[in-house]
Amino acid sequence: MSESAASTGAQLVLDILTDEGVEVVFGYPGGAIMPLYDAMVGHPMRHILTRHEAAAAFAAGGYARSSGRVGVCMATSGPGATNLVTGILDSQMDSIPIVAITGQVRSELMGTDGFQEADVTSIMGPVTKRSVCVRRVEDLERTLRAAFRVARGPRPGPVLVDIPSDILKAAVPRMDFFAARPIATSPERPDDEAIEAALDLLRDAKRPVIVAGGGVRSANAVHLFREFVGMLDVPHTATINGLGCATPGDPNFLGMLGMHGWKAANLAVNGADVLFALGMRFDDRVTGKPDRFARGAQIVHADVDASEFGKIIPVTVALRGDLRATLTALVRGAARREMPHFTGWTAEAKSFGGPLPADRAPHGELSATDALDAFFAVAPADMIVATDVGQHQMWAAQRQRATHPRNFVTSAGLGSMGFGLPAAIGAQMAHPDRTVVAICGDGGFQMSIAELATLKRFALPVKILLIDNQRLGMVRQWQELFYDRRYSHTDLSDNPDFVAVARGYGLRAERVEDAGELRDALERFFRAKEPSLLHCACFPAENVWPLIPPGATVHDAMDGAPHAIPA
Amino acid sequence: MTLSLVMHDWRLLERIVGLTNRLGCAYTSVNVRAGDAHYHATIEFAGPPDALRRLDAQLTRLLNDDKEMSR
Repeated sequence: MSESAASTGAQLVLDILTDEGVEVVFGYPGGAIMPLYDAMVGHPMRHILTRHEAAAAFAAGGYARSSGRVGVCMATSGPGATNLVTGILDSQMDSIPIVAITGQVRSELMGTDGFQEADVTSIMGPVTKRSVCVRRVEDLERTLRAAFRVARGPRPGPVLVDIPSDILKAAVPRMDFFAARPIATSPERPDDEAIEAALDLLRDAKRPVIVAGGGVRSANAVHLFREFVGMLDVPHTATINGLGCATPGDPNFLGMLGMHGWKAANLAVNGADVLFALGMRFDDRVTGKPDRFARGAQIVHADVDASEFGKIIPVTVALRGDLRATLTALVRGAARREMPHFTGWTAEAKSFGGPLPADRAPHGELSATDALDAFFAVAPADMIVATDVGQHQMWAAQRQRATHPRNFVTSAGLGSMGFGLPAAIGAQMAHPDRTVVAICGDGGFQMSIAELATLKRFALPVKILLIDNQRLGMVRQWQELFYDRRYSHTDLSDNPDFVAVARGYGLRAERVEDAGELRDALERFFRAKEPSLLHCACFPAENVWPLIPPGATVHDAMDGAPHAIPA
Repeated sequence: MTLSLVMHDWRLLERIVGLTNRLGCAYTSVNVRAGDAHYHATIEFAGPPDALRRLDAQLTRLLNDDKEMSR
């Protein structure tokens, strides 16, 4: 129990954040939250001023995704709060723990359509685990403590606390903090019968496949996942949020699963007779047409959230509980039994694959996939990558070599453009000594381009690899393939001079447009100690392959051959 | 499907209504009674069985978070 000398609600907020282990918050001030910003003067809490509230929410998400700690963002009432919505929903979709604090107009003005007044808790309701307004200063500590508990789990997610400015200003008595209460429901482990049933299925399987989802990351169960798949010599794959769960270089890892996943992964899952789905939620970008997904497989689904069972895919065995407890039980159970090794099936599954198909660059032009191949070939092993959303995201996900799922930060469920740069800022704050790279497309980069100022102000050595194809590439690709090449509003060929823009913000910046220049440019890029931009000017018509069309199956996968680049 | 729910925050009803609509269900009867520290709701839902099952599971999650926030 620690003691607070807080004299106002605002000071109490900062003391509680400190007591909860928060070292940095991302935010943007404004009228109603001014008392809280006033209390920050001289307070040791680090505040990162972003240039838009949306970036503050994404940065808090990037901080939480890369560290496992709760990310905190704050904004003022009305437009400040509504600008947080996308970043908060982004965390909700990927089960990322963040606490958002918003200032609200004075209590007496609530409901009067006062200046910058909005019904924030109602707006935030569907995009958070809980969204509450503190109406009495006596409730402030209890509510904030609860917000952190609920954000952390059992299934993590965002919580919003809205605080009227008079509550922030209100005097609070000198008080003792009560110790942070533990989560009421201690981590559950699945019952023994379910574990035995799952292991029975695995023992009798001929073609099992294990899938890692984001839940393995959330539960800090990566080492157990590696132990489990390693002891069985079983083929395994990952959703985009599970990338990095596999041991680096594990030959039994088949690559990413899903719409733009590796062929071997999708075909192996499709042909599996037993599928272990660990902490995944069968997103449509993974399953394609659900009633044809792995339809020959008995499915063992492990998740901390019972509402996920049977939501999309019927399951044979449901393992409800904390993934760490579940994987511990599976590892121990498998060690006690005579379990087969699946070496032969693994070799067969790997043979389904082949290299990633990619479009060839027209003579003299730079291909985005060549640029990314070169990038990942020379990048440091423990680098953290934060991607934006679109083609570059899928190309990066296909090629990434993350040594841990917290090293590959991406907006998976919501697919929020503008995520990459602010998320990288959050990751760099969580890991000041590591190499953090934002991989962005030209569309998403411009949604958060003002955050270059944040990099400069805080001297954050984030590196930005800009894959510029002068198009909203993923939409352009779908227009080419599914809308008879009617290109509607996806042309960004009048992009600004990104190098000049970055230099204008005080960054080191360089442009490459020829594959031959890449190697030296990447060497300078990684050597730089200051925030840097490497602008890759790529040809515009390159597509992401393979592609399983929406609502289709792996057998409908397109690999580019019938869709050669127009001359 | 009739559920008896205990809410610590009465505004949760708004979430329940929104979730019901989002999952393609409806409610045919809502009865809410204030207690000392809780609100007791009895709600009759209608909809496809699969959607009702999903609704039930999601409401359980929602109420668990509500309970934790009230501690």
